[in-house]
Amino acid sequence: MSTELPIALDDVSFSFGKGALRKQILFDIAAHIDGGEIIILTGPSGSGKTTLLTLIGALRSAQQGSVRVLGKQLLNASERTLMKVRRQIGYIFQTHNLLDSLTLHQNVQMALQLGGVKGREANERIATVLDRVGLSDHAHKYPRELSGGQKQRAGIARALVNRPQIVLADEPTASLDKQSGRDVVDLIQDLAREDGSAVILVTHDNRILDVADRILHLEDGRMKSLSEVVSEGTSRMLNLLEKHDPNSANYLATFAFALARVAYADSEVSDSERDEMRRILHEVAKLEPGEVEFIMELSMMQKRARSGLDNRLRNPALDEERARHFLDSLYAMARADGVTTSEEIVEIEAIAAEFGLRAPVPAAD
Amino acid sequence: MFGAVPLGWLQLKAQKLRLFAAILGITFAVILIFVQLEFRQALFISAVRYHTAMDYDLAMLSPKTDFMVSSKQFPRSRLYQVLGIDGVASVTSVYMRLVSWRNPVDPANARNILAIGFDPSEPGFERLLTPQQIEAIKIPDQVIFDRRGRDEYGPVRELLDAGEPVSAEINDRLVNIHSMYQVGTSFGLDGGVITSDLNFIRILPTRRKAAIDFGLIKLDPGQDAAEVQARIRAVIPGDVRVLTREEFMDLEVQYWNKTTPIGYIFAFGAVMGLIVGLIIVYQILFADVQDHLKEYATLKAMGYSHGYLRSVVLQEAIILGVLGFFPGMGIAHLVFTRGADATRLPLEMTADSAIAVFILTVAMCAASGLLALRKLKAVDPAEVF
Repeated sequence: MSTELPIALDDVSFSFGKGALRKQILFDIAAHIDGGEIIILTGPSGSGKTTLLTLIGALRSAQQGSVRVLGKQLLNASERTLMKVRRQIGYIFQTHNLLDSLTLHQNVQMALQLGGVKGREANERIATVLDRVGLSDHAHKYPRELSGGQKQRAGIARALVNRPQIVLADEPTASLDKQSGRDVVDLIQDLAREDGSAVILVTHDNRILDVADRILHLEDGRMKSLSEVVSEGTSRMLNLLEKHDPNSANYLATFAFALARVAYADSEVSDSERDEMRRILHEVAKLEPGEVEFIMELSMMQKRARSGLDNRLRNPALDEERARHFLDSLYAMARADGVTTSEEIVEIEAIAAEFGLRAPVPAAD
Repeated sequence: MFGAVPLGWLQLKAQKLRLFAAILGITFAVILIFVQLEFRQALFISAVRYHTAMDYDLAMLSPKTDFMVSSKQFPRSRLYQVLGIDGVASVTSVYMRLVSWRNPVDPANARNILAIGFDPSEPGFERLLTPQQIEAIKIPDQVIFDRRGRDEYGPVRELLDAGEPVSAEINDRLVNIHSMYQVGTSFGLDGGVITSDLNFIRILPTRRKAAIDFGLIKLDPGQDAAEVQARIRAVIPGDVRVLTREEFMDLEVQYWNKTTPIGYIFAFGAVMGLIVGLIIVYQILFADVQDHLKEYATLKAMGYSHGYLRSVVLQEAIILGVLGFFPGMGIAHLVFTRGADATRLPLEMTADSAIAVFILTVAMCAASGLLALRKLKAVDPAEVF
């Protein structure tokens, strides 16, 4: 138990329905999550995120593969085993799911009394956890007397009062405005770090992805690599920008290109320098914060391309195999119009030289 | 704030209007049950008023007698026969018959009344009449009147209490009302007069002294009634029945309960009350479970067992039962006090019947809770995400 990961999934598949109506929701999912890790599970609706979460949360019994949660195998587990595992997990729901007829104090107590904690100790722990989520003044209020953010924080208090080793949160920010959503996520992050819990957070909300130690992406019931997801999402958004606002697209791209050349010319950029750049872009160039970040990221990509290749011995971004794929594809691109001109070959060799790659002999046409 | 969260009670309390409606419904059901059961009880108690009031250890009656008011006669010699049996101390001949009483103030108004005659020299009526009254009925055409009879017999009570002489026509024979005794009405009779055997025959000239309606048998002190009963049965022929006090009363009660529809109607009323209460509590609890399905699913997701949810619903059911019972008992008590005045029936709430109805009510609510629990099967913790 001590050496075992809190969550270990291998080859997990899951289907709903039977016979002709059978629909497979999850395909060969594998995931290993350690204590203290914050995992964000993303994916479009219908991708199986929630199903996966219910499997990990012991709310359903797994059908195929191995679902080990807190040392218990949940494959075809009995209702009794599921119930025991559930007690060791903190759940945070999309809507707070507090019990309307109980005060916050009593709501938290409902979770605490499951572990048999009663009396003075219970009161102290409830007071502490409500204090941690900043609701000590509202302990004896009913959920209907609170704002959405406060209710969600009460839900977090309830989930965390037993100091669970696993915290599962399903769209905890979905019903909140930007600021309350941010507060809630920060709170989950802080508390989980303090308690060393493994956190799985399902979300659609791109604004909170940065709290993740790792991002798992599900699409049509399969895990996808982050690079694929980001590339896909970004290219789609860039295409959209190109289509609907080509002027801004050009302006931003130009800015990014220029910034990369000017600011990153000396190859080392400190954090304070970056902050200053953000300020200038915002105040002098009159760009919105989102646009500023976009330019920063675009220019960073160009800078990464250079420095990554410069340091390629230390940085395995371009190992032997990738380097070969890289150059092969450059030659293939050159051939794309049917002819490989000498200008193209010169350019490729220049790039290879610049990145310190061994220029392979082009395939003879 | 110590101990577990009383979730059932808190959930009920959170919906004040629903709680009120539920309590009202249960209160209504409790009143129904109380009134029906109590009327039924009153029927049985009142039916054996004379059985209880007369002093005897064994009673002799005709096998054809189903109940007191329609008694059949049997030979008085049978009663005297038992005097010779070991353990019998004394016997009393009793004559009974419904006769026509004319209202002394409004003689056009005639009404049936139970006339009871006995030999004043024999014991058995000491609990009903004072020694003076027993002396008084020896005088011809003098009777004692039941002060707790219905008002339709005329203002006899008021006149006698005021010290005025009252006489009335019974079966067209004018009799003097000497004074009053106290028994009360029942479903079968509205009032009564007690007099001597001789006066009884004066009122009913067709009756003979040798044909009696009941025989009261008094035993020597320390005698076991059942043993003496067996001895008597062994000696006398089967044309009369000899019953202990309990058997005699039971005969009367069984007649009203089984032979007439009256006992059935009241039992049916009580069952209806139970069913009404059951449906009300079921409806309320069902709606309550329905409303809380999501919360219950959340609790299950947190690791609460199905059994816990069951206990919450049962807790609600029992709380509703308790909360509905006491106002119901209070109102029923009020109804009985008023009803006892109006009907002169022995309507009073005993601790036993209160406890019985309380248990019935709680059982009814628990049963409704169990019915509503079927809805809980729909709770799937996987639905909460």
